Amino acid sequence: MNWIRFIIALIILAGLTSCTDKQQAKDSRLALMKTTDPKPIVTDGKAGSDQAEKIKHKVSSFPEIYDVAVVKGKKGTLVAYKVKHLQRFNMKKIEQKMTKKLEDEFPKENFTVSSDYKIFLEVVRLNEKMHSGSISDRQADKRFNEIVEMTEDMK
Amino acid sequence: MANKQNMTHEQQQYQQLQQKHEKKRPVLKNCIKAFFIGGLICTVGQAISYFYIYFFNFTEQSVGNPTVATMVFLSMLLTGFGVYDRLGQFAGAGSAVPVTGFGNAVISAAIEHRTEGFVLGVGGNMFKLAGSVLLFGVFAAFVVALIKTLLVIWGVL
Repeated sequence: MNWIRFIIALIILAGLTSCTDKQQAKDSRLALMKTTDPKPIVTDGKAGSDQAEKIKHKVSSFPEIYDVAVVKGKKGTLVAYKVKHLQRFNMKKIEQKMTKKLEDEFPKENFTVSSDYKIFLEVVRLNEKMHSGSISDRQADKRFNEIVEMTEDMK
Repeated sequence: MANKQNMTHEQQQYQQLQQKHEKKRPVLKNCIKAFFIGGLICTVGQAISYFYIYFFNFTEQSVGNPTVATMVFLSMLLTGFGVYDRLGQFAGAGSAVPVTGFGNAVISAAIEHRTEGFVLGVGGNMFKLAGSVLLFGVFAAFVVALIKTLLVIWGVL
């Protein structure tokens, strides 16, 4: 009897999980579990994509992290990354080190650095929306500012 | 237990007999059970916090609050249905140490004293065990925050 109940519960659970929104693209659905490695995005027109690429390359050279997403907006640049699991104790230090290095390297940019999964996920979602063309540059920049605001709430 | 010198001969004999027949506690087995069930509960917690990150506007830092609330609520429901008690029988500390144990402590005390009325029974005894969790939790948090504040003021951190 108990087994039957258990199996029914499993079936219902499987049914429910398969129904969760299908319109979401593939990458953002698993962004927290696997390496996504999204391309850097620029919400500020087309200029500056070279620099965004450079920033991403620079950040990726840190051995402690494994997935980097860069967004360049009008007001600044957002760098989101995932820290390797055993390095998570040093998250504060890594963040300080990275901010310093980036500011030394690109003194004109205004950087926001975050290792939060939520920020990373939102950047991947924004990336997907921009690539599918379902969002205009202006909307994207607005969303970018919202994400930056989210990081400021954490401090 | 009484001192061995104070016991009569018969009592000592009985003690020996009792020790011979007493079942050994399977400490290692209990630890393993507690480890896995505790880990399972924490996995559920992790899934819930990812759920909040994905579908709501919570960051990794702020997601702790709704996750804890959900876990406590779930364990309260399970206690009410009598499921959590069985889990507790099986896993022991593995089910008591995560926050879900807190929900269990609140609701099991409330159920136990239901017959004594709503005010003096349920209301008065609900936090019998959970109250000490709150008291020492808040006090420990206060002490840690105090130490951290002092360290920041002195420039150590």
